[in-house]
Amino acid sequence: MSQGLRRKFLAGIAAGVALAPWLIASDARAQAAAKTTITFAGVTFSEAGRGDKLRAWVDKFNKSQDKIEVQSVGLPFATFANTMFTQMGGGGGPDLIRFDTIDFYAAVPAGRLLPFDDYIKDADYKFSAPNDYLKSNGKRYGMAFEISNYVMMYNPALLKDGKVPATFDELLAVTKAATGNGIFGYAYRATMAERNGFWQDLCNFVFGFGGRWGDGTNLTLNSPKVVEGIAAYKRMYESGAIPKGADAATYRRMFWESKVAIEVDNGGVAGIFNQQAPNLAFMAAPSPFPTRAQGLILAPLTVNANTKNKDAAFTFIKWALQPDNQKELQDLLGASSVATAVPRSAEDLAKKPWLKVYDDQTANAVPQLVQGFEVRTPELQQIIIEQVLKVLQGGMDPQKAMDEAQELGLAKMKK
Amino acid sequence: MKTSVDNFFKDQWLPYAFMAPVFLYLVLFDFIPLLNELYLSFTSTSLLSPRQHTWVGLDNYRELFRSSDFIHAIWITTIYTLACVALALGIGLGAAILMDSPFVGRGVARALVTLPWAAPPVAVALIFTWIYNAQYGVFNFAQKMLGFDAFENWLDTPQRALMAILIATIWQIFPFASVVILSALQGVPKELREAAAIDGAGRFAIFRAVVWPTILPTVMILGLFITIWSLRRFDLIWLLTQGGPIGATNTLVIELYRKAFVYRDLGAGAAVGMIGLAVALVITVIHARVSSRLEAENK
Amino acid sequence: MSALPNALRITTVLALLVLAGFPFYWMFVTSLTPSSQLFASTPQFWPVWSEAGVYREAFQKIPVATWLLNSLIVAAGTTILALSIALFPAYALSRFKFAGKGVMGLSLFATQMLPEAMLVVPLYALFGQFNLLNTLTALILANTAFTVPVVVWILKGAIDGVPEEIEEAARIDGCSPAGIVWRIILPLIAPTLAAASVIAFFHGWNEYVFAQTLVSSESLRTASVGLAGFVGELSTPIHTVMSIAVIYTVPAIIFYLFVQKYVVGGMTAGGVKG
Repeated sequence: MSQGLRRKFLAGIAAGVALAPWLIASDARAQAAAKTTITFAGVTFSEAGRGDKLRAWVDKFNKSQDKIEVQSVGLPFATFANTMFTQMGGGGGPDLIRFDTIDFYAAVPAGRLLPFDDYIKDADYKFSAPNDYLKSNGKRYGMAFEISNYVMMYNPALLKDGKVPATFDELLAVTKAATGNGIFGYAYRATMAERNGFWQDLCNFVFGFGGRWGDGTNLTLNSPKVVEGIAAYKRMYESGAIPKGADAATYRRMFWESKVAIEVDNGGVAGIFNQQAPNLAFMAAPSPFPTRAQGLILAPLTVNANTKNKDAAFTFIKWALQPDNQKELQDLLGASSVATAVPRSAEDLAKKPWLKVYDDQTANAVPQLVQGFEVRTPELQQIIIEQVLKVLQGGMDPQKAMDEAQELGLAKMKK
Repeated sequence: MKTSVDNFFKDQWLPYAFMAPVFLYLVLFDFIPLLNELYLSFTSTSLLSPRQHTWVGLDNYRELFRSSDFIHAIWITTIYTLACVALALGIGLGAAILMDSPFVGRGVARALVTLPWAAPPVAVALIFTWIYNAQYGVFNFAQKMLGFDAFENWLDTPQRALMAILIATIWQIFPFASVVILSALQGVPKELREAAAIDGAGRFAIFRAVVWPTILPTVMILGLFITIWSLRRFDLIWLLTQGGPIGATNTLVIELYRKAFVYRDLGAGAAVGMIGLAVALVITVIHARVSSRLEAENK
Repeated sequence: MSALPNALRITTVLALLVLAGFPFYWMFVTSLTPSSQLFASTPQFWPVWSEAGVYREAFQKIPVATWLLNSLIVAAGTTILALSIALFPAYALSRFKFAGKGVMGLSLFATQMLPEAMLVVPLYALFGQFNLLNTLTALILANTAFTVPVVVWILKGAIDGVPEEIEEAARIDGCSPAGIVWRIILPLIAPTLAAASVIAFFHGWNEYVFAQTLVSSESLRTASVGLAGFVGELSTPIHTVMSIAVIYTVPAIIFYLFVQKYVVGGMTAGGVKG
């Protein structure tokens, strides 16, 4: 038996030795190709529904070129920025990257992104207003790949007497009434495992109640309006109307199976519902908070400063900014908009009444950042979320929790 | 190279020649990166520009020990590691003794009981996330069937999250302990093992007198490996809770990852890593002392 | 010798089997639960066979086959590389006395203390210098660095258990030390090699941190990263995720069952001596 095993072991080693050149060769093949191959990384590529369409959109570029090929790379949302930053810091990484705003603000001051100015003149394109957030010291470092607003989505079939809430108290009442028999009135995120999503949902409450994390020069984590927003988050948490601990992937699925009545979510999600559950007759309305301000997803398309194929990368960006391609991108992204203003077709607006609600929100959209401390947002985000969890789960008073957050934040910012 | 028996052992270069390939390999892929990290731990370095350092001396370490989060992380790591060792060894030992006793279908049972070892941690994290789901998870369903109020997701409850992570971890690692102990049990004469397994009265006495001393060295070294591996377990915890809620499952490795990759502070991350390494080395030294004493007592 | 302990024993064995097997079973059942049944107050306890199409879809719509092939290359490469470079050092640590042995032994062990997350940044730079980024070779090399020390320890334990007299005859016949390791020791510790291969293979098959960072193109993605990718921002269909989790787990189980009979016994030696 052991003789036989020894032979197997030797055979295994021999196979390994034989395999090695092939392995290295295949690696090399993956790297070298006849065309200039550049990579484009983004979380959107790995999304159900939108991912495939976005790949098809990129392939359209590839068909239009004979010298350049763009390879789409989908990566997990939870670790996207960590992976990108490790690669970029190490001198590598994809050529084109679709970042989230928060990560964009970290990458720019570190000199990790290429300025657009040599290739793209602002005057040549009709960039929409949020694109101004993508400038630093007068230089452009990205174009808006996806701009997405937050509004309230609801499933009319699940609302008692069809009543759509317009204020927060109504929201509590309506969601409570809708809850029961396996249906939940409302859903949002409140777990550390979904730190980034939790932050987005929390920003909607805080912004909606008129709060801001910073005023541009000072932290305002314990200002009255912020505390009010967080107290509201807690009231919802304790209302019994939410599926506690459910992650976004699950509760969005529940929404589309008609098990969740209301959620405040972004236009990308509306697009996914529309594509994946065409029979779900959901509607949209402004979020039922005291003010209209809500978070803004502003995902820039950027060029990695490590790229060895600058020209190819900007060729793609120029292509992406062509009106036809902008329109196609906007359509596939759902209720989001793109770098340049693309009017929606009357047919689309009629078929998808929620589109207009999303579009109308633009004027009140605020990036999910700590104003004045954009680059330090990840650290402040961690502090804020930990403190809010103490409110939700540890029964801490919101004011006290945010006073502590302010103190911790100030200490951290001194560093 | 023909040598006589005497020359064979006198050839002083031979051991080094045998060791060299692995050693060079580890120097390149483990120790140089480790030294690099040691240096980084005394600097302020951003993940985005790892080649630009500012020397800050002991600042990173000072900062850590001043922070209550870090002290809490050490505490959580200690509980997690001790529980992993105790439960994995305990359940592993029980399973091994059970699987050593003769019964119909033993071969199949041995294979099946150790299967969790083969489950990839990423898959384990996904299935346990779903099992623990508060509304539709089978875990809360079972609790309700048993008459408990179960509305909370354990992963999402500060008092329960560590327990939930431990359940998933132990499920995954006890089979390894059981396989190793079962192997060690093969070193005890068969008749004695069978007597210990069947004879109710003298069972414990036989176990204590004969079986335990034989397998003790194995159990000790196994305990050390489980300790070290638990100190550095990352993917399962990160995917289940990211260290939350409110730091309830925030072990040192999770803290390291958060500092280095979320806050992009490589210096602080490296400092956490160095402290983790120091803890592991201290445990190893204590372990060596204790195990040599235990072995001496049992001889 | 009473009947009770026997019944108790069988019950305990069954309970253990159920506990060990349940998460696997649940993964499988969830993959075969219709979307509408996933959110029911009473869980679906049995697979719905008509849902089996989800597996075909997984292979058609998602590059699962590529992921598995990549994971297999990494796992097999790690196993072969680790076993082949571990044999001679294991023999040296077992048989020879030499200056620095203790330090070398301890430093081997110390590598087990290093978390991947700590070394990933320097290793990224290292592989960058060797021009090995975005290759499966990099993953094999990195994983081997974390696997080879355990393999050395296990093999050393096995060689400790081989009586030296067995080598005498070969030595008198003029066999070289390397020849002794190769021709005498290797066959004797074959079962231990099988046991060690399980550890190395699982490490390569499961590894996540390096696979996520050192490799960027999708065609070289391993199954661990592919599966973790489903923990997405927007909506993840749970039964699809579970079907891929099943597909990812099954090869590891098959490999394990294949070598499992050598593992008990083979592992002995590894544990015996520290």
